[in-house]
Amino acid sequence: MIDSPLLTGISIKARRALAAPARQACLRALSTQPTPTGVADLTDPILQPPNAQTPQPPSIFTANAKPGTRRKRPAAPDTTVQDYHRALDLKQQLGRVGSRVERTYRPADVFLNPPGPKDVTLELLMASQAHMGHHTSLWNPANARYIYGVRQGIHIISLEQTAAHLRRAARVVEEVAYRGGLILFVGTRPGQTQIVTQAARMSRACHLFTKWTPGSITNSEVILNGMQMQMLDEHDEPIEGFHRHLNERRPLVPDLVVCLNPLENYVLLHECSLVNVPTIGVVDTNTEPTWVTYAIPANDDSLRCLAVVGSVLGRAGEAGHLRRLDDAKKGSVAWQTPLDVQKFMEIERQNAEKDAMKEARNPGHDSLSNDGERGQKKAAADSLSQEFPQIADFNSSSSR
Amino acid sequence: MALLEALSGAPGGGTEGVQVTFARPMPVSPSYFSRQPEFNDSFVLVQDLARRFGRLPTLPPGQAERVAWKTKEQYRLAIGEAVKARDYAACIGLVKRLHQIHPDLMPEEVKQGIRPFKRDINIYLNTPKLMPVDRFGRSHGVGKRKSSIARAWLVEGMGEVLINGKTLNDAFGRVHDRESALWGLKSMDRIDKYNVWALVEGGGTTGQAEALAMAIAKALVVHEPALKTPLRKAGCITRDPRTVERKKPGHVKARKMPAWVKR
Repeated sequence: MIDSPLLTGISIKARRALAAPARQACLRALSTQPTPTGVADLTDPILQPPNAQTPQPPSIFTANAKPGTRRKRPAAPDTTVQDYHRALDLKQQLGRVGSRVERTYRPADVFLNPPGPKDVTLELLMASQAHMGHHTSLWNPANARYIYGVRQGIHIISLEQTAAHLRRAARVVEEVAYRGGLILFVGTRPGQTQIVTQAARMSRACHLFTKWTPGSITNSEVILNGMQMQMLDEHDEPIEGFHRHLNERRPLVPDLVVCLNPLENYVLLHECSLVNVPTIGVVDTNTEPTWVTYAIPANDDSLRCLAVVGSVLGRAGEAGHLRRLDDAKKGSVAWQTPLDVQKFMEIERQNAEKDAMKEARNPGHDSLSNDGERGQKKAAADSLSQEFPQIADFNSSSSR
Repeated sequence: MALLEALSGAPGGGTEGVQVTFARPMPVSPSYFSRQPEFNDSFVLVQDLARRFGRLPTLPPGQAERVAWKTKEQYRLAIGEAVKARDYAACIGLVKRLHQIHPDLMPEEVKQGIRPFKRDINIYLNTPKLMPVDRFGRSHGVGKRKSSIARAWLVEGMGEVLINGKTLNDAFGRVHDRESALWGLKSMDRIDKYNVWALVEGGGTTGQAEALAMAIAKALVVHEPALKTPLRKAGCITRDPRTVERKKPGHVKARKMPAWVKR
């Protein structure tokens, strides 16, 4: 019954009728372009050469293509600068409104407004924890005279001793700076860079915040070979004409070394003692005080304490530097030219006199006895001849 | 010269000459006693700048101009000092942070301070040289694969292909190689719209065929720039970096080890 021809005929037709629109629907869903047939269209390239119309990429790519730019452009204009200036204005107007909080500790204060030797008070030292020593079992008995007592298992450094020694060290730094000496501030522990560089900047000195290269004093010809030097006069202005001497002379040796952590810099202090360079060091209760010439008993583990010490010594160096420049303006100079520089200047003076004598003896032979002048003239002539070749020709012909 | 003049003026009692009686040698750099004076001066300056200007408003991430910074080795070569890797990393980190400051608010000293860490040539400003279609209607492309190098010129035409003066069938015996050589054109339905004239050298047949595919695809992009993305998806634009691995000492081949012997 079911397999009757009528029914089969209907069912086949129905299947076809159902199938046909379904196929079209599928294709439509896949693409909006006319669907390509399986057989390649042979007439197309002949009838339509590719330059006739602009070639388009296949539909499958255009259908799935993304927009050209992936990054989203900021919709709003950039107002960062205006906002910043508005915030500054507002802060200026409203910054002082409200309650005022006094006596706050800000770690950067010691760098923004560095205390000098006159600002050294026991309160300042106490606030910066200069009095805290090490555990009593770690002490060096040579520090007994700096120790005030024991509290909770640690030694307490006498702040009167600290202040007195700090003031004495400041005097030393100031006088060395006044005499035109070379001061070196050393602090090689992490975090001491800013302390050391600021002290050096204030007192026009050198700083060291990396490892001390052993031998930089006792073997300086090798270690510091080729480091740049300059010659300064009494007003701290660089002087020209010493290139030969600066190339040949021995490297510099500091006239005073300030060490914030003597424990780690024994080699440096030992080298200084070998060549009689005075040293200033922050001596904690576990440090050997005889390693340094001028000890400052204080807590060398507190960056806050070391910042105070460094800024006091830096201010002292600044004061000595300024006093030296003032006195130089008035005509009194408290330092002497080093002997090797004096010797070089004497030799140069003799050479100049000899040249002058030669010139006086035979003036017609070569009026340009001076090498430098000759070089200058030659350079001028060369540049002239480059610009005006006719002049050069004329000069050569006339000299012939 | 000033010294000589001064000295020569001195014995004669010259009234004009500047008399140098005081001179003392001093270091140029405050880092005189460290092993890396120039780097340490820069480092101190950068730390100082970061402290002073670190709170200025910055650009949103990714908006700052891309800068080619010196690597540690390049910096060492440039200043001639053995800078430690840790120190340089710390310094260049601060420099990059300073570079994020909004350019309209960046102070001049910050620009000067971070300059020593920039490369002389900013490679990110390089733009590829355009190779337009020439006056004969040819476009040129170069492709490489393994050790083969292919140069292809594409002209609009009827689909003729000449590779080293030979037809495609003569140039490549394998069907697969023929297919891959023209894969760019074929996948884009452009096989009958362009004539190809190509030169290939080096390597074997597979390498030459795939080098050709790359060269033809690049030349096709010159004619139709819109095809670049589809061609990339078809795998014709990207250079395949795989090459023969070198033989190592102690190995029989690149990785093969000699057979283990008991004694």
